[in-house]
This record gives sequence, structure tokens and C-alpha cells, in this order.
Amino acid sequence: MNVRNGGLLVLAAALAIGSVLIGSRQEGAEFAGADGQAMEAVAMLNPEYQPWFGFIWEPPPEIASGLFALQAALGAGVLGYYLGFRRGQAQARRKRPDAGD
Amino acid sequence: MHITEGFLPPLHAAAWTAIALPFVVVSARRVHHLMQEQPQTKLLLAASGAFAFMISALKLPSVTGSCSHATGTGLGAILFGPSVMALMGTLVLLFQALLLAHGGITTLGANVFSMAIVGPWMAYAVLRGTQRWGAPLALSVFLAAMLGDWATYLTTAGQLALAFPDPVSGIAGSFLKFTGVFAPTQLPLAIIEGLLTVVIVNFLREYSGEELRSLKFLPQTLATETR
Repeated sequence: MNVRNGGLLVLAAALAIGSVLIGSRQEGAEFAGADGQAMEAVAMLNPEYQPWFGFIWEPPPEIASGLFALQAALGAGVLGYYLGFRRGQAQARRKRPDAGD
Repeated sequence: MHITEGFLPPLHAAAWTAIALPFVVVSARRVHHLMQEQPQTKLLLAASGAFAFMISALKLPSVTGSCSHATGTGLGAILFGPSVMALMGTLVLLFQALLLAHGGITTLGANVFSMAIVGPWMAYAVLRGTQRWGAPLALSVFLAAMLGDWATYLTTAGQLALAFPDPVSGIAGSFLKFTGVFAPTQLPLAIIEGLLTVVIVNFLREYSGEELRSLKFLPQTLATETR
């Protein structure tokens, strides 16, 4: 199971790295967000459209990257806590000789 | 996949909000019941939400030199049933709309519909369908998470197409255009999300057997093979 999971993680990482490498070769590759590109497409389809509502609050770029990191860290933290907790529980159960399943 | 704040005409924004709202209300009730009836699954639910939270913060590159992020809502949909994820996804989208200027409040309904409703239901349907045909569990989970992600993006493209039809080729032409914007980032991203979801499910089957058995939404194969 662990070997298989390791392999899957390596594959996932390889896909991401491969995408950067191939993507970087494209002309004018800035790795801009696809959401932004979609909104540019809106502007092309309907040049007269004006967004009628703006962001309530827009974080400065450096703060934004920090908040993105915070989001990932909170998610990974809770997920990691859960996985570690269950793994520890399972191991403790297996070590106790009297624990019959 | 977020539609940016203000980028849906008021009527569309209101309509999508009205469509999404009942799903979120039902979802909140579901989560409440789940917590009362099966408090032992609280931690797993938090972990599933955390997975979506983490995944949707990770902007991954694409082969065409743009970037986007996956949704991560497939895992929770597989474990708890699709309706639970409407609330989870809404929380993620709210965080991003309020703190990250990503998505928006006026477009929240439309984004909730694509990411927290269509995606999870698609993932769940794919899991059930492929299991019925006897596919190996890992393959089922992979396809469920991957196709759930694609369904989310196709929905977003559809929502934008409805709001901004192409002057010449109409809604269909516009849909193809928006799909073309999302597809190159989302095709590989969804594969990555599928792989990560399989990793987590593998782990759960090894160490969280008791919890999996107590979840009634789960296909038999997921729970019974665990120790």
C-alpha cells in the first residue's frame, strides 16, 4: 500500500513538474490564472460589459500569497493531523496483544 | 474555475444564487444530523473539508503556460455523499472570495453550483456507476475525482456561455470558447486531483476502517475490505 501511494505521489508531482517544463516553452508563458483568462474572453465576447460589482477587499499581492499559503497550511495541517492520529491509533491497537478484533 | 466578482449580470447572479441556496441549506442540515448521529465521523469530515481547502489553494501550472487549481471536493462526496459537500465547498469559496479576491460574493451562487454541487454529484455518480460495473476501487475513486473536477469546469464554462453568448455562434460557440480556456489547465490538474484522492482513500482503508464502516453512503467494497 505504501509503495503504491508513493508511486502515485511521484506521478502527481511528475505531472505538475512536466507541465511547468512544457508550459515554459510556450511563447509568452506567464502562468497567468485561467480564471483571469476566462474574464478576458468575456471582454472579447462582449466588449461593452462592465463588471457591476467590485471586490469588497483585495489583499495586496504579498499578503495574498501569504493568505494562499495560510489556506494550504490550514488544510494540510488538519488533514495531516487526522491521518497521523489514525495511523498512531491503528499501530497502538496492533501492538496490544490482548486487543482482539 | 471561479467566476470573478461582478462578471455575471445581476439577473444571472441572482438566479444561480437562488438555485444553489436550497442545496446549501439541505447540506447544512445533513452535516448537523451527521454530527449528532455519528459524532465519531466528525474528524474525518473535517479532514475531507481540509483536503478541499488545501487543494483549492494550490495553483498548479499547465502545459499551455497558464495556471489554475483543482477543487478537491470529490473525496468528501465519495465518503459522505454529495450533499454534504455543498456546505464545505461554500466555506472554501467564501474564504477565497472575502480574503483572496478570488471568485466573488455576487458570483458565489454560480461558483457554489459548479464546484460544490455539480462536481460532488458527478463524482458520486461516477463512483457508484463504475463500482456497479465492477471496476477496481482505486480506478473508481480516480475517475470519480477526475470527472467531478471536469464537470465543475464544464459547468463554469456553461454559466459564462449563458451570460455571454458569442455574437456569431451563440451560446454553443461561447461555451466552446470558455471550455477552451479552462481545458488545458484542467485536464492535467484533474488527473493530479484524482491521484491524490486515491492516495487518501488508500490510507483511509488501511487505518480508518471503523469510520469507513460506519458511513452508510459508502459502497460496500470500500468499507468491507478494510481491517
